[in-house]
Amino acid sequence: MMTDIRKHLKLSTTVGLLGLLIVPFGCEDYLEAEDPVGQLSTEAVYENENTATAAITSLYAILRDEVILTGNPTGIGGIMGLYSDELDYYGQPGESLENFYRHQTIASNPTISDTWNGAYNLIFMCNAAIEGLEGSQSLTNEVKEKLKGEALFIRGMIHFYLVNIFGDIPYIKTTDYLINSEAERMPSEIVYENIIEDLENSKNLLAPSYPTGKRIRANKWVGAALLAKVYLYNRQWEKAEHESNLLLNNSEFVLEEDIQNEFLKESTSAILQLKPKNNGDNTLEGSTFIFSSGPPPLMALNISLIEDMEDSDLRKQNWIKSLTEGSDTWFFPFKYKQNLNTGTSVEYSIVLRISEQYLIRAEARLMQGNNLGAENDLNIIRQRAGLENTNAQNSQELFDAIIMERRFEFFSEYGNRWFDLRRLGIAEEILSPIKIGWKSTDILFPIPESELLLNPKLEPQNPGY
Amino acid sequence: MKNNYRRFYVLPLSFALLWALSTTLTSQNGSPPISGIVTDASGSLGGVNILVKNTSRGTQSDMDGHYAITAKSSDTLVFSYLGYKMQEIPVGIKSILNVLMQPDATALDQVVINAGYYKVSDREKTGSISRINATEIESQPVSNPLAALQGRISGVDITQLSGVPGGGFTVRIRGQNSIFAGNEPLFIIDGVPYDSQSLGSKRASGLIIPGGTISPLNAINPDSIESIEVLKDADATAIYGSRGANGVVLITTKRGKKGKTKFSIGNSTGVATITRKIELLNTNQYIEMRREAFANDGISEYPETAYDINGTWDMNRYTDWQHEFIGGTATTKEVNASVSGGNEKTQFLLSGLYQNETTVYPGDFNYDRIVLNTNLQHTSTNQKFQISFSSGYTLENNLLPGTDLSAIALILAPNAPALFDENGELNWENSTWINPLASLEGKYTNDSKNLLGNTVLKYQLFKNLNIRLQAGYTSKNLESNNKIPHTIYDPAYGLDSSVSQSYLHTGTYQSFIAEPQINWTKQGEIHNWDLLLGATYQNQKTENLTILGYGFANNSFLGNLSAASNLIILNESTFEYKYQSFFARINYSFKKKLFLNFTGRRDGSSRFSTGNKYGNFGAVGLAWIFSEEVDWSWLSFGKLRGSYGITGNDQIKDYQYLQNYVITNQPYDGNIGLEPARLYNSNYKWEENIKKELAFELGFLNGNLEFSAAYYNNRSSNQLVDYALPGTTGFPSIQANLNAIVENSGLEFELFGNLIHKEKFKWTTSLNLSLPKNKLVAFPGLEKSTYANQFVIGEPLSIVKLYNLIGVNPDTGLYQFKDYNGDGTITATEDRGYIADLTPKILGGFLNSINYNNWSLDIFLQYVKKQGFNEFYGNEPPGTMFNQPVGVLDRWQFTGDRSQLQKFTSGFNDEAYLAYSNFAQSNGTLSDASFVRLKSLSISHTIPLVKENNTSCRISLMGQNLMTFTKFKGGDPEQIKGFLPPLRRIQLQIKFYL
Repeated sequence: MMTDIRKHLKLSTTVGLLGLLIVPFGCEDYLEAEDPVGQLSTEAVYENENTATAAITSLYAILRDEVILTGNPTGIGGIMGLYSDELDYYGQPGESLENFYRHQTIASNPTISDTWNGAYNLIFMCNAAIEGLEGSQSLTNEVKEKLKGEALFIRGMIHFYLVNIFGDIPYIKTTDYLINSEAERMPSEIVYENIIEDLENSKNLLAPSYPTGKRIRANKWVGAALLAKVYLYNRQWEKAEHESNLLLNNSEFVLEEDIQNEFLKESTSAILQLKPKNNGDNTLEGSTFIFSSGPPPLMALNISLIEDMEDSDLRKQNWIKSLTEGSDTWFFPFKYKQNLNTGTSVEYSIVLRISEQYLIRAEARLMQGNNLGAENDLNIIRQRAGLENTNAQNSQELFDAIIMERRFEFFSEYGNRWFDLRRLGIAEEILSPIKIGWKSTDILFPIPESELLLNPKLEPQNPGY
Repeated sequence: MKNNYRRFYVLPLSFALLWALSTTLTSQNGSPPISGIVTDASGSLGGVNILVKNTSRGTQSDMDGHYAITAKSSDTLVFSYLGYKMQEIPVGIKSILNVLMQPDATALDQVVINAGYYKVSDREKTGSISRINATEIESQPVSNPLAALQGRISGVDITQLSGVPGGGFTVRIRGQNSIFAGNEPLFIIDGVPYDSQSLGSKRASGLIIPGGTISPLNAINPDSIESIEVLKDADATAIYGSRGANGVVLITTKRGKKGKTKFSIGNSTGVATITRKIELLNTNQYIEMRREAFANDGISEYPETAYDINGTWDMNRYTDWQHEFIGGTATTKEVNASVSGGNEKTQFLLSGLYQNETTVYPGDFNYDRIVLNTNLQHTSTNQKFQISFSSGYTLENNLLPGTDLSAIALILAPNAPALFDENGELNWENSTWINPLASLEGKYTNDSKNLLGNTVLKYQLFKNLNIRLQAGYTSKNLESNNKIPHTIYDPAYGLDSSVSQSYLHTGTYQSFIAEPQINWTKQGEIHNWDLLLGATYQNQKTENLTILGYGFANNSFLGNLSAASNLIILNESTFEYKYQSFFARINYSFKKKLFLNFTGRRDGSSRFSTGNKYGNFGAVGLAWIFSEEVDWSWLSFGKLRGSYGITGNDQIKDYQYLQNYVITNQPYDGNIGLEPARLYNSNYKWEENIKKELAFELGFLNGNLEFSAAYYNNRSSNQLVDYALPGTTGFPSIQANLNAIVENSGLEFELFGNLIHKEKFKWTTSLNLSLPKNKLVAFPGLEKSTYANQFVIGEPLSIVKLYNLIGVNPDTGLYQFKDYNGDGTITATEDRGYIADLTPKILGGFLNSINYNNWSLDIFLQYVKKQGFNEFYGNEPPGTMFNQPVGVLDRWQFTGDRSQLQKFTSGFNDEAYLAYSNFAQSNGTLSDASFVRLKSLSISHTIPLVKENNTSCRISLMGQNLMTFTKFKGGDPEQIKGFLPPLRRIQLQIKFYL
């Protein structure tokens, strides 16, 4: 009996000991994995000026590399150029880009959904930054305000492009996915109200000086320059003139006399530039447009632009380059002259430049009946291009001259031509004779099909799709 | 030279001497009146129990099969050995009694099945476990163990993603349980979980390997595998708890066996080609199509870019691009060798493999592999302590083209220009095309090193109590490099080597696992108990680093990143995953005819946030051998079994519950790139999978005919999903649980027949059949969710919603679709009313093995019934500058035509273009893709070399994917169009057994 108990005791002790052996780390602590390398908690990002700044500068980097303003072929410079009368497509048949050129964009076009999704991702980042900055404990108010001003600036700008591409869109101001996943489209007028509110707020928060001295991030003047454009598009002439006056009366921004210098990184015409990614890189626009033998590998300028420009136009001589092989000649935008790495960067992409402010003011003045002032502004741009003063005799002619001047000045830049055709209601008139696939409903892109499937509140689809 | 030969003989000679010596030593024991040698078909058999009937006197044969025993002439000797039929032989007047043991393969009792943490005999198992053994694997010329499993196990659907060497597979055991979390089974190699996630990077692997999925199981040499067990139901998988939901695949490698030292050395060579091509238009047909297309669109002057018919390209030229790009013959070479042996206490095995395989692409690409396996086992003299160690080391080197040319081969115009100009340089034909071979200027290499080590220590504390510690270490290292020289671009861009790029990706993975266990057994006449308690601690770490270098002075420096003027770190990440669990199993059997099995497991995983880390899983299994109760002469064995239990799934990404920013490769003005990593949700929990199974197993004709049938029903709930969100949220998805229930149910049948079992002529046949069914049972709020247009309650998860093609309008020549909402237009949201299911409906396999004398023949047929996307899927409209399948010739031409396909369009007719883009998303792109495939065939002949010492030579001719019978016209019916299909392989192997 005794031995049995002893044996039993011995057995149970052993089992107990083994149990201890098995369960030494039986607690949740064991399961705490190390923080992932290359990640930072959202809170930490906005408690440190360097990382908070990096979260803001990343917004520019994404504009440069990925969406809307990118100089890659899928940026609005490329797709809107093909969609309007600026660029011809020479690439592989069947690619998504060809659909823009042929006006065969359908709701499932991948470039359209990339543009939409990319833009809203960037808006999310702006909102995350705004919320992060507002919640920050350690950043000074001054830092917070400036960074928030930049985020508001970019949020407003992206919505501005979206409303001009897709028409009525949701204006997203929060990171809450429950709200955003059921977002509804707002009438364009309301979208514009929001854009203007964001940009005005941004202008108030931003300092007059550039954050780093270089013209590669938003300051007060950059906000004013974009506001001028927004007011112009929204037909608020007086305000457009007011904002452009702020720029044109500022001695920091001087129209480069020599047209050759306009797109260099030191250009005094520049209001906002995007700095290339790596040292020695030049612009993505350069690599997209430049080619050295024919036929063009992807796209080239439409001949009508070249034919419509006067031969004495310095822009035709300097900003366009031709390439001839046998009996064929092709033209490409040569505003940016570098497509390779140059050791030290020579050119930055220029998003906003002072000549646009002259032409904005010209149009705004004309619309307010100040024909003389409009003519003056127009002639400043013409003279710089080596042209005679305008010979427009009346308001209509002056208006046509300003729009034509915009075409010659801003070709291949950020879809300016297409947006002009659209806002002025002349797309049908200009494009239907020259674009086989043109339909009057092409004035707006379709809301991406996947987006309508995921959020039926975005219905109805734009007409024609 | 001569010296080398001499040295070559020395080794086997010295071994021969050793054997001779040991033989003489053992025969000196005692002075036996009766002695002899026990053998089986392949030679001497050690360890056979020899008992004098009705006494307790007995002995065992030694490793050469010798035995000696004292017995009277009236006695009867009983010879027994696991896996062989028992023999009773009267002694009589003989003093030498040689016995030939007959294998007893059909005896269920003797087939021991690996069930993971424990072993069980086939007869007594309560769960659903299927098994294939070494013989079946060895008869197939495959380099990945998954390929050897295809079609052979009921309920397991394996699809090869690409025929490229090293390419991945998808494995689904009893269907897709999870909507979006991983559906991969758990792979366990010799007790150690093997991470089946690919370490590859899409950026660095380019487009050659679909989704960057490099199968990690390439590191396992199929020849080194003893058996593969697949655990399917709750009873079998619940002991793996949270990782068992998608089934478990147990791979057991070969071990050394006691007995004489055995050598084997084999050499094989083979060839491989694609299985089938898609029949495409020739140049005449193509040009006719293009001209008709422009005529239809009312365009008489061909556009400048219509190089194929505007006179730029030669319109008489014809190239079969499939032949040009993927029509080559790949060669395979393989050398393998092994040595194994040991005595009562210590056994060892060493094996090695070298393999080389080229590709079907033009150019000099190949795959090299070296695998080394070792195994060592030792038992202490008092039999109480056992240690076993095994390791596998694999080196792989894969040099592949940067792009899979399979897709371009199907669409390139047949009159496209020559690939090379007269100087042998790439021909760009004045920028009128992108030369597809330009992508071969880019080279993709990957080197991987893989180490698997595993140690088991076992100690018998008391008669009934064992403690055991299993520890495993896995280390994987992948280095891949994708070189993109500027020469892959059209020279028209005027680029130089400053834009050449070189991507270097390194991925390392380390995992350590320790599993202490206690096992208690109590054997009795009536009640038998088997108790297992254990714990698992696992820690795994994955590190990735991808670097891009560009700005090279010269393309020859591309292999050397330090020569790049710019280096960018694209991705640098470390992921840690920790896992801890406690498990128990209680097995009770009553009179060896009623079996009860309880398993339970509590799992914790670092992939969930605090408070959600742990989950409980468990199962109960029951088996009743009813043939013990009845006495039906026609029924030799009958068993009913059933199980019920819960398993889980944590196959989601690490750290999804953290609200973080991630460093990106988008610096700006000296600041690093920082982006929010994801939308934030920390409340997600374990996904659960409830499995039920009912099965019976029957044996007839003394076990020569076996039949089993199983019904299973698995329901998974609390689905872990990357919940799709509209773009306005900023992200495409968020990690969350979905309150949806997915049901997988089905019937599985297995039939085994031992048709002829004569000494010289044997014929076995086996058949498996699975009828799987997948259904979305519930999805509260589906209508309002972002999945409203993807899933339908009551339908499988794998459905696609398509437009319903009515046909071609005879008047307009355009496709027409059913207008479900009757609004007069075809819209994506409302009119995709046709529901198609792409999962297989029937899976089957039929194996015959015939042995005659020294010849053996294995034939395996695979059958799959399913629907698949056909030759029209993913094409541009016929008439545009892309080649098409010949089927497009049945198009509409004139008013009133009744045709299958709409009129050709050059792409300038908007209506035709739109109708075609709807067609591309309609049921017109679906066809029956069922097939019967002669999956493998092998003939081998064994020639005895020297009879006395059982040396032999085996010559085998083996084939894989030899013939495919199908009505499908879209290429190989197994996989996705546009990737290299699985290859047809033929291999000749010579193997010496010494």
